[in-house]
Amino acid sequence: MKLFSAAALSVAVLLGSTVSALAVERGGVMTYGRYADSLFLDPVLNDANVDIWILTNMYDTLLMPTDDGKGVQPGLASDYKMADDGLSVTLTLRDGIKFSDGSPITPDDVIFSLGRATNPDNGIWGFLISSIASVESPDPKTIVIKLSRPDPAIIPALTVFNTAIMPKAAFEAAAGTTDAEKAEAFSQKPVGSGPFVLDSWDRGATMKLVKNPYYWDMGEDGQPLPYLDGVTFEIIPDDATRILRLQSGEIDGAEFIPFARVAELQAADGINMQLFPSTKVNDIIINVRPQIEGKDNPLSNPLVRQAMNYAANKEAIVQIVTMGVGTPLSSFMSTATPLHSGDGPLFPYDVEKAKALMVEAGYADGFSTSILTLAGNQDDAGIATALQQMWGAIGINLEIKQVDNASRTEQYRGGTFEMRTGGWTDDIADPSEITSYFAYSPTIDALHSGWKSEEVDALFEASQSETDPAKRAEQYARIQEIFNSEGPTVALFETPYPVALSTKVQGFNQIPLGNNIFRAAWLEK
Amino acid sequence: MPLTEFIVRRLLQLIPTLIFILIVVFVLVRLLPGDPTSAILGDRGTDADIARINRQLGIDQPIWVQFWLFVKSVMSLDFGNSIVLKRPVTELIAQRLPITVALTLLAALISVLLAVPLAFVAALRRDKLADNAIRGAFQVGLSMPVFYLGLILLTVFGARLHWFPVGGYGDTFFDRLYHLILPATTLALSLSAILMRNLRAAIIGVVDAEYVSFARAKGLAPRLILIRHVLRNALISTVTLFGLSIGTLLGGAVITETVFAIPGAGRLMVDSIYGRDYPVVQGLTIALAVLVSVTFLLTDLLQAYLDPRVAR
Repeated sequence: MKLFSAAALSVAVLLGSTVSALAVERGGVMTYGRYADSLFLDPVLNDANVDIWILTNMYDTLLMPTDDGKGVQPGLASDYKMADDGLSVTLTLRDGIKFSDGSPITPDDVIFSLGRATNPDNGIWGFLISSIASVESPDPKTIVIKLSRPDPAIIPALTVFNTAIMPKAAFEAAAGTTDAEKAEAFSQKPVGSGPFVLDSWDRGATMKLVKNPYYWDMGEDGQPLPYLDGVTFEIIPDDATRILRLQSGEIDGAEFIPFARVAELQAADGINMQLFPSTKVNDIIINVRPQIEGKDNPLSNPLVRQAMNYAANKEAIVQIVTMGVGTPLSSFMSTATPLHSGDGPLFPYDVEKAKALMVEAGYADGFSTSILTLAGNQDDAGIATALQQMWGAIGINLEIKQVDNASRTEQYRGGTFEMRTGGWTDDIADPSEITSYFAYSPTIDALHSGWKSEEVDALFEASQSETDPAKRAEQYARIQEIFNSEGPTVALFETPYPVALSTKVQGFNQIPLGNNIFRAAWLEK
Repeated sequence: MPLTEFIVRRLLQLIPTLIFILIVVFVLVRLLPGDPTSAILGDRGTDADIARINRQLGIDQPIWVQFWLFVKSVMSLDFGNSIVLKRPVTELIAQRLPITVALTLLAALISVLLAVPLAFVAALRRDKLADNAIRGAFQVGLSMPVFYLGLILLTVFGARLHWFPVGGYGDTFFDRLYHLILPATTLALSLSAILMRNLRAAIIGVVDAEYVSFARAKGLAPRLILIRHVLRNALISTVTLFGLSIGTLLGGAVITETVFAIPGAGRLMVDSIYGRDYPVVQGLTIALAVLVSVTFLLTDLLQAYLDPRVAR
């Protein structure tokens, strides 16, 4: 009898917990405070995170990233299969999928959308799907993507914003003659495949998304997603004002909370201070060319760079700049990037070792160099002044040059900078993107540093068509080992995405790639 | 008709000014390091991407070709499309500039309402408690940085007392006016401090003038003396200062717009300069130049009304 009641009780508890997990509440509009407005909401032609990070709410992809951002789950395609020879992917479209105007999503739309995305004249994201040779549809349910080479990153690439599915007919009916003109006209009043659709946009102030009534995915209550009737983005550039509006209940969430205020908001009533895992890394990029504008460059000596790495106290910088929210990097790529390797912090702080390396490199008396920082950026200023002090201890006299972004980019691309602060966030759940920019010299000269490793270049090229996951992991382990020990950077720290939400908000997620996911978000009444 | 002639003369003077501004802004924005494409693509674009997009935007053409296209577009009052936002510049100006103008006008109104009566009180109670209190309070308003003052007002009157919304910009006319009160007050506090000090000094100068003593000796009512003789003469220099300040306010509302999350022209201008969005910077500069010139013209007219010698 006792046993029975205990069992009954546990069943009741189980049922109770299931019921409470099911008790999502529908309706309402969630208002989200953003630090900057979007610029151009076209999946293919955009080029900024302010667009990328919200586009996935308006356009679905064939496959979708998992909540942890590392894996792949079905999207508009319910099923996918890589051919044994690695030269094609076969996907099955879901039944009854529709755009936000109620028209069906057909293989024609998929062929059109991927065709736009692979067109080399369109935007800057084509490299992510450069292996696609053609897209075919043998029957109304099936999509076959033919590849020009085996591509281990093609499956995650089909979750990336630029492969989003757009309505061919509506796009082509938009005003204009070129693709760019049509994209501009279409983006004013788009028809989408995602859980929400753009309703109105008062630039610089408010963007309103409303629920797509034809969305395919089902919520926990068995009804179609999304739970919310809409999402309203309010543009509030000032950090303090964004937080004030959240505290006064005028908005339900605020992005990019300054690290200095994270602890305060963690302790605040009615606010759920979230630190979403991210792929954001911060580092110092070093120009390693033997000469810069005709002058000899001490930074070209790998021993000097190692000395600088040892002399940089990453733990201290994490405390100063991120108030302890960040973690020192264990590789040039974030721990949230697939195939990341390395377990301890790189170059543990050791001034004596750094001094010895400077002597060995022939710079016992040190030298003078400079770093470019973004004017007005507090994090940059904190990092640079900390390094100025830390490197002063090994005889390096660091001049801090504050410039605006366009000036910095010009010096960076022209190879005339000595050092600069750097930051990176992945766009794809695969290590190939960051590695191509950071380490593979043909892309952009390894972060425009002039660094080149024949072995890394060869390994990267091999990994780009390596279909054996174990072998690819080995290649990436070796690439990271080489880059981390002698590369053109001082790896500093990785940081999460600090988002403050009202405690009413449930189910909102920002994945490590940065995408804000509102499809399963709901508001407690 | 000297007044009409005066206006026509001033309007004609505007033409060379605008041509000069047209050339300067076209050249200056291109003298800045970097170009729109690398500003947009930031660190990621490859050289091939940048060359392709510059070609698509026409930025790879010789500068004189670009200038000719620019002059042609200005002639037809079409400033081209924003490179970053992909919308016509005229549309962006039409959306953003009225907001800044409304903010400026409201700030100007509030500052006049604050400055004029208090300047009288301060001047007529010179060096007494009221004078010192008024001057002291305005000094605090003047020395406080705008972003800090704005945050204090937001925290106290927005977040704590809920009298006003915490920044943002409403939907209807009255809602928008309501949203603009705190930011306009922020701007007005420093402006009114300058106006008040100037007007106070002018009143003190005029009150002791012989013609005021004469009016008093004639036995005119004190209120009439104050309005007809003191205020009118004291206002001349303050009106000039006021006109100049409004010009500065128009271009300088950036910080206020940022703190209060108002989508005005100031923020658009700063974002466009950072993004090297040449067409927007050019179009907005010209629009602001016209507005400031018109403000100065109105100031001169007001001055001519107050002091007919000016129009001669």
